[in-house]
Amino acid sequence: MDNQSLDPRVKRLKLNTGGEPVTVHEGENWNVFEVFHQEKRGAHHEHVGCVHAPNAQLALVFAKEQFARRKKCVNLWVVRSADILSFDTEDEDMFANNLDKTYRDASGFKVMEKINKFKKSTHDKE
Amino acid sequence: MYGGGYIFDEPDKRQLKEEQLHDDPEKLVEFEARIARGEKIEPGDWMPSEYRRQLIRLIEQHAHSEIIGALPEGTWITRAPGFKRKLALIAKVQDEIGHGQLLYNAAETLGKSREAMINDLLSGKSKYSNVFNYPAETWADVTVIGFLIDAAAIVNQVANAKGSYGPYCRALERICYEESFHLKQGHDAFIELATGTPAQRAMVQDALNRWWQPIMHFFGPPDKNSVHSEKLMQWKVKMASNDDMRNQFLDAYVPKIWDLGLSLPDENLKKDPVTGKWCYSDPDWDLFKKVINGGGPCNKERLDVRKWAEEHGRWVRKALMNPAEKTTAPVA
Amino acid sequence: MTRNEAISQMLTAMADDALIQGHRNSEWTGLGPIMEEDIAFSSMAQDKIGHAWALYRILHENLGGTEPDRFAFLRGEKDYRCCHLVEMPNGEYDFSLVRHFLFDHAEAVRWEHLQQSTFEPLALTARKLKGEIKYHTLHANAWITQLCRAGEESYARMQSALNVCFPLALGIFEPSPEAETLLVNEKIYAGEATLKEQWLDRTYNILSVAGLNLPSEGSVTPAYGGRKGYHTEYLQPLLDEMGYVFRLDPEAVW
Repeated sequence: MDNQSLDPRVKRLKLNTGGEPVTVHEGENWNVFEVFHQEKRGAHHEHVGCVHAPNAQLALVFAKEQFARRKKCVNLWVVRSADILSFDTEDEDMFANNLDKTYRDASGFKVMEKINKFKKSTHDKE
Repeated sequence: MYGGGYIFDEPDKRQLKEEQLHDDPEKLVEFEARIARGEKIEPGDWMPSEYRRQLIRLIEQHAHSEIIGALPEGTWITRAPGFKRKLALIAKVQDEIGHGQLLYNAAETLGKSREAMINDLLSGKSKYSNVFNYPAETWADVTVIGFLIDAAAIVNQVANAKGSYGPYCRALERICYEESFHLKQGHDAFIELATGTPAQRAMVQDALNRWWQPIMHFFGPPDKNSVHSEKLMQWKVKMASNDDMRNQFLDAYVPKIWDLGLSLPDENLKKDPVTGKWCYSDPDWDLFKKVINGGGPCNKERLDVRKWAEEHGRWVRKALMNPAEKTTAPVA
Repeated sequence: MTRNEAISQMLTAMADDALIQGHRNSEWTGLGPIMEEDIAFSSMAQDKIGHAWALYRILHENLGGTEPDRFAFLRGEKDYRCCHLVEMPNGEYDFSLVRHFLFDHAEAVRWEHLQQSTFEPLALTARKLKGEIKYHTLHANAWITQLCRAGEESYARMQSALNVCFPLALGIFEPSPEAETLLVNEKIYAGEATLKEQWLDRTYNILSVAGLNLPSEGSVTPAYGGRKGYHTEYLQPLLDEMGYVFRLDPEAVW
């Protein structure tokens, strides 16, 4: 049966206009791969999103057009989302910086103070 | 592209109570404080069940709007005049599909699979932006959609991009960037007609007349009729009121239309010099409801086309599907 | 026939192929089997139309041809030089994929040769398009090999699409003896027979991995005629549609 679409592309399709339900089955849209994008040589690969793909080869093929069709890009990585291990977000407190740990920080070492003190003391002796 | 406003439904009272019983009050305080500080919520975070439910609904409907939105403009892909217009239109419709892809991924992080969302679209359970239930009758319609509906969508999406849910904001950041190309190419094609031959001008005026009411509907019913959004605003799910967004849109774009000597089919449309707010005739809100509920000129066709695409793509998806594999959600 | 006439004839055929193939592929935009593939296939449709545009510009700017939009959108059917393969309606995705595979490998072979063409504008364009075409064949190879190893239904679909497409695809290499001799002598390109042999080698490598059987060349009738202006019943309606808006007022700017 001819449909009355204004879109000639659609008009050529044999649409099922009977209103029967169409169901997509779980897993039919494949699995999820995270995509990492390298903007230029020497730069880190950065996470930019994900694609649904049946395997890594097609994930890469898809990622190329979904994540690099505009933005500058020299390389992409894809990795199965299931293979990414991360901390629980509620463990964010582990990352809190303890301000007392100044021995890890350049600012924790007051070199100039010591030099000035030394210079002052030798100057005072003279 | 998407319009806000009518997308939030009122929760089922009894169900809500039960869900809220499970919401740890201490965690809720912490959650709300985090949002008040301007921090983002990430997929693994604790969140109230109502926040999750409304976000899934919002992002899913936004995603549906992108892939359904590809259809009215797709109407003119094979007829676009000249290389530049032809390529820009294909690229634009392609972007809408790309936006759908980003948004479904964002919604998936909240625990609903892409398949389940597509099924809810196909069955009519889940809605999409009403504006796409109207036909794109002439080439000028494409320019009006590309210019004004994308402009309206930008108002909405820029607001949403400041919301509280990390994955949605990240998707919107990219989407807004691409929408600015859509708006520009739409504006360019619109101006070409508006400054062209008398027949071209008549064509674009006719398209404006037909699209004006759907555009006024785009941001949803007036604020006075949607009183349940305080919580959603506090949670930064809903970021701006319908009337504010509509006003912002009118303020930016009505002058651009009038500048070209084109008219809009509303005698009452004018800016109040005192309040700075735009006055307009109320669009037909009963019609709006009727179209949402399936009574628009293209509702059936849009879903029939999506069903065709899903059915005819099925053998490809099934062939490469691995039933033994457990599917996972995106991590971020 | 002069050198420039021969070049124009070749470029028109190449450009018409790319335009019509891109146009057909763009019909899938928004209707593809899954969003990710929809996006990829649409990009390649845009690339094809872009290649056509680049070639029409060379015709216009270097060879005294008509302005590209008018030339591409307003010619009569008999003046198109595309092969029958690209004119065919999309059918199901199997047909579109196999056509894409056969067509894009032919493009890849042709454009690689043209990088060394003595006709400088063409050599320049060939070098510019190299990366795009590489992606097109990579995409096609991935799909062909995967779908052919993904169960009986999928394999059978691909094999029958190949049976339909192969004689049509041979039409890409329809000989035009007079122009070819001239172009080969001038080192502008390698000639259809040479390109066809390389194309058969390349596609065979993938088809054998996929386990598909290529019909023997002798057993099929190549779909010739397109290069001489004889087309299938599908081209005229496509052209009516493509030029519809433009023809509302060919003098207006759109």
